[in-house]
Amino acid sequence: MGEGGHGARSVGMCCALPNQALPALPRSGTWNHLFTTLLSWFWLPQPCSLPGGMEALEEREEVEETAEDAISMNISDSLDDLREVVEEASATSGEPDFDWSSIDTSHLPSSYKTNSQQEKELLQLADHFFQQYTHLCPERKPLFIHPLNECGVQKFVSTTVRPTLLPFPDLYYWSGCASFVCDYLIMEPLKCPITPPSSLYSPTTILKYQRGNCFDFSVLLCSLLIGAGYDAYCVHGYATLEMCSLDQTQELCPLLRKPPEVPEEEDPNKYIIKYPLEPQSKFELQQKAKEEEETEPVQEEEKEEEEKEEEVVTEVGMPKRDPLHGLRVHAWVLVLPGKRKVPETFFINPFTGNHHSTRDECFLGIESIWNHRNYWVNMQDCSKGCKPEKGEIDMSFEMPLSWVTRIRVSCREYENPFSRGKKVILYDKAKLEKWAAYANGDGLVERLTVYADSERTEELEVKEWFKHREDLLYMREVNKQTQLITDHFRPGHPLLLKAHSYTSLEPETGHTVEFYHTARVDGLWKRFENATEMTEYFIGREDFLHMRHIEFGEREKEMENAGITADANPRPIVQIKEYFHRNPEKPADEDIEERVFMVIDDVIQLTYHLELHDTIASKVVFCRVIGREKREDEIFLSRENTVKYEPWSSEKHKNMLHLYDLLWELRAEQKELKHHVRDAEAEMLNILMVREDEEANIKLSVSMYSTAKRGQQQEATELEEEQKSSQSSLKDESQHMGGEAESVAHHTATNSTV
Amino acid sequence: MSQFVSNIEPNIIDDEMVQKAIEENCPEDLGDLARREIINWKVVKELQLSFKSILQIDNLWPLENLTKLQLDNNVIEKIEGLQSLVHLVWLDLSFNNIEVIEGLDTLVKLQDLSLYSNRISKIEHMDTLQELQIFSIGKNNLTILEDVVCLRRLKSLRTLNLSGNPFCREEHYTLFVVAHLPNLVYLDFKLVRDSTRKVAALKYRDLTKPLEQEEARVLALQETQEAKQKELEYHQTAFVEYLNGSFLFDSLYEEDREAAKLAFLPGVEDLLQAYKEEFVSVCGNLFNYGLEEYEKREAEVSKFYKRYHEILAVNQEESKRIISDFESRNQRRLDELYQAGSGDLAECEGAQGKEEIRQLWDALMTLEALVSSDLEELLQDFKRSIDVVASTFTESIQGIFNQCRDLENEHHKKLMKIVIATQEKLDMDPFDDSLPEDVQRLFEDKKTIVNIINMAHSVRLRKIDKRESDMLCNIYQWQISETEKAFQTENDRNRACIGKILCFINTLQKELDNSDPEA
Repeated sequence: MGEGGHGARSVGMCCALPNQALPALPRSGTWNHLFTTLLSWFWLPQPCSLPGGMEALEEREEVEETAEDAISMNISDSLDDLREVVEEASATSGEPDFDWSSIDTSHLPSSYKTNSQQEKELLQLADHFFQQYTHLCPERKPLFIHPLNECGVQKFVSTTVRPTLLPFPDLYYWSGCASFVCDYLIMEPLKCPITPPSSLYSPTTILKYQRGNCFDFSVLLCSLLIGAGYDAYCVHGYATLEMCSLDQTQELCPLLRKPPEVPEEEDPNKYIIKYPLEPQSKFELQQKAKEEEETEPVQEEEKEEEEKEEEVVTEVGMPKRDPLHGLRVHAWVLVLPGKRKVPETFFINPFTGNHHSTRDECFLGIESIWNHRNYWVNMQDCSKGCKPEKGEIDMSFEMPLSWVTRIRVSCREYENPFSRGKKVILYDKAKLEKWAAYANGDGLVERLTVYADSERTEELEVKEWFKHREDLLYMREVNKQTQLITDHFRPGHPLLLKAHSYTSLEPETGHTVEFYHTARVDGLWKRFENATEMTEYFIGREDFLHMRHIEFGEREKEMENAGITADANPRPIVQIKEYFHRNPEKPADEDIEERVFMVIDDVIQLTYHLELHDTIASKVVFCRVIGREKREDEIFLSRENTVKYEPWSSEKHKNMLHLYDLLWELRAEQKELKHHVRDAEAEMLNILMVREDEEANIKLSVSMYSTAKRGQQQEATELEEEQKSSQSSLKDESQHMGGEAESVAHHTATNSTV
Repeated sequence: MSQFVSNIEPNIIDDEMVQKAIEENCPEDLGDLARREIINWKVVKELQLSFKSILQIDNLWPLENLTKLQLDNNVIEKIEGLQSLVHLVWLDLSFNNIEVIEGLDTLVKLQDLSLYSNRISKIEHMDTLQELQIFSIGKNNLTILEDVVCLRRLKSLRTLNLSGNPFCREEHYTLFVVAHLPNLVYLDFKLVRDSTRKVAALKYRDLTKPLEQEEARVLALQETQEAKQKELEYHQTAFVEYLNGSFLFDSLYEEDREAAKLAFLPGVEDLLQAYKEEFVSVCGNLFNYGLEEYEKREAEVSKFYKRYHEILAVNQEESKRIISDFESRNQRRLDELYQAGSGDLAECEGAQGKEEIRQLWDALMTLEALVSSDLEELLQDFKRSIDVVASTFTESIQGIFNQCRDLENEHHKKLMKIVIATQEKLDMDPFDDSLPEDVQRLFEDKKTIVNIINMAHSVRLRKIDKRESDMLCNIYQWQISETEKAFQTENDRNRACIGKILCFINTLQKELDNSDPEA
């Protein structure tokens, strides 16, 4: 290897030009053996047009020429015309420019500054190929094949790719790599948006300064992906303005993308009761039709106007046409299937870390692709769709090892990817902000703000994500219109909270609490409470209870003199309703569906389930009646209690003993239920208290695996503890007092119900 | 006991005593009105008849839902009159004069039985009490310890009291009982320890092992029999019992003695064998087809009921909606009426209430009419498809049986040929000794032998016909009963539903009238 530098040598990467290659090129057969360089070719899917924006230009209606004309025009006139636009574009890149020329290259190892023998041979080959290519395809752009590195040394692009697997679990997957790269680096636009850069720096340098252009992004991402075992390639091609400039304001935020709704399958045979239509008077119908006719034209006019308006609106909403459409150079990453269980070919945009289909219309064309082993040029007319495929590669020329040193990312760097502390991404009517974990005291790591308008002035909804919070809060949704806040918790909260919706943390102001019910004995998964009612939802209970609804009355006027707190003056319970599912083991007329305790009126009403063939449920009503004549359908259980039953009820419901036992049972249950309601109220109060406390002093937990943070935390806690030790005795006391007060309150509550 | 009893008149249980006992059982604060209303004995669940000097149990049969019966501390001598109390879970017959355990066979739900302090000398007649968990037979006259072994058959027995019997004085009494009843948790009011159980098992393993083996054998036998029975039942519901294999063929030749003799003729053996093979394979086809058709029939029926229940569910939902709509309005009206007292307003409200009830009636009846007409349609469809299934089955069956008959006819022809040939041969050479004598005797007369063969043939054909007509009969019966059942169900439902609606409307009407103070 290495001797004999002439072109037609053993390097066997053949370049099989497709038959349907550009008309300007000679037939492919003659090219095969001439092209014995590192080059091969591959096909591209349909949406990628030829480089040079041919299709894009063709699409413009005012240019009614053939493809070749378009190319010539593209090269001569239009380029000149567009130069101004280009300059403008490159000038208006808002970022304060980082001066790359001032970076210190002196400490870099020698492989950065010189070329080995092998590399020199490779460069020669590349040069040779470059010349042949420009000779044969004069209408195409010069290849991006051996740019200068940060030390001003020419390097072959494949050797800039340095496959590395970093020791972070997330970076074993492409999505983790992609999001790391796009989070960690600051995007710089290309100097000139329509030509590839003149230099390509090593991924290590890029990581060090945390910034780079699309090529730097791609090379770094590609290095990580190949290191993780993916079949990944850097792509040099053309993309839309939005993609090249990392402008996502036209896109829907991926977090807001709704999963495709699965339409509920309506059973076409579902039985529906078809009521006969009511007979209608023909005369009336005619009258109506007439009236409608009269009103219609007016409506139509209105409609037309509306449509017009709509048109205007849609035009405004459309993105402006980009004069450089199809010419903008971009670099991204291609992942081929086969390795790491990748099912099909896809692109990754290194700026966003998003996955794109190869048919995505944002990608307009491909010049070349490369990985750490090889370099391929696109020689294909992609106007006829074909699958991306690669020819077999004869590996008799060994690619020299990468000149780049090992890519290193420390834990601290990995955990704090945002070089400016936070990252802001603007989407269509939405803004996404990201922070590193522990960057914010409350554990905030991500915030998504949804706006009503494109100008982002009117907030609709704010979603915040938290990490490492000790109260296990991980997401908070704030609906800005209703001011309703919903907190979501991970499993493990001491109060088993799953979600909590509220407008304020004041008690009895409308709270919905969801629990991780599997950890609860009573199977409660949701409870809603406000000033006048409380509803509890259960799941998986043995008594088949699934809902309980409690109505409260108004509090009695507080006695002004005594120091009675709100807790000591409980709301009177007016009514308790319970709903049960069908218990298949009981006959339907012994299986209670609904149970109503009207506490104040002292009425208990039971409604039973229905057998399938039944339509009218049987009911039993216990009421307290004194000194009244007995009715036909009533039984006096004792002097004060009567039972009302339905005449169609089963014999059982007329049996005295049964009813008597039932009444006593129900009485006992009513008592218990009252206790339960008070307990539930106390639980809600407790939840609010705990939440308030948690919100007032937010603590973040430190993962025992995050070494960088742990050190810091330790220092901090040591400091804190010192401070705390002085206060702790005081705090303990107050807590103790609080607990006592609560128990007293509870005690009084139960007393009052008795 | 007897010294107390001697000066008290012994009683027989009568209605009065039962009624009194029921009333005594009522809670104290139950109103007198209610107390008087308990006349329905059918709903009484518990009854206590202790210390009543009862000599003979009687008149308890109306209390058919009784679950707990206490007859302790009486002078009962014989267990009787309890057969109809099949729901009994708890039966207390302690402190009586019972001598034999009997008359408990039907009380299969019994879980707790006390025969403490009686005069019983043998444990017997208890094999049907498989639910029995607690059994007390202490302080009796049990002398043979080996009797305890029969309690092994009570699989649920966990608590046993034997104390105070003569055999308790025997050495190793406890170990013997524990060894033979290893599932016991409590014996004579004491927890049976694991250590005791181990020692007992070791000591009596020579006695218990054969018992266990025998039990296992019986169990296995029972299981195989049950499985067989189950399969047979499955075949019977598919109307193809005994069609797999050569049962039918064998039955054709069951009473045919001549056939065996004829088998000695040259070629008949092979002929018979071939005939059998073919016949059995046709039977096999019939069997498989029968099972297939059975599944189809079941599918058809379950499809119908699924749809039927679907419609009923929708109906239920709809009527619930109508009623709840009405009730929310009605309650408000009744309240208003109550407050309004009398006057024009009340009158107006009352009239409106009546109108609403009428509308409810209309709505419910319309719904029922619609649903029942839809169900009628469904039923007609069901009947049609049942008819189709049955008629295809009939046709196919007839075809297959025709095959059987053809086989039989062919066989008959061939046999006849051989027989006639033999006959002719014998006629030519009457002294041929190649055949056994009794066979030769058959051929004495051509007419006789032909008659015999013809007769056997017609018997076989008749048997085939019989099997066929059995199957056809079965399928016809299935067709009729399935259809009738479906129609009957719907008919009953419809009647019950309309009855209930009427009742409901009447009740509402009454309620309205009652709350109208002027009425």
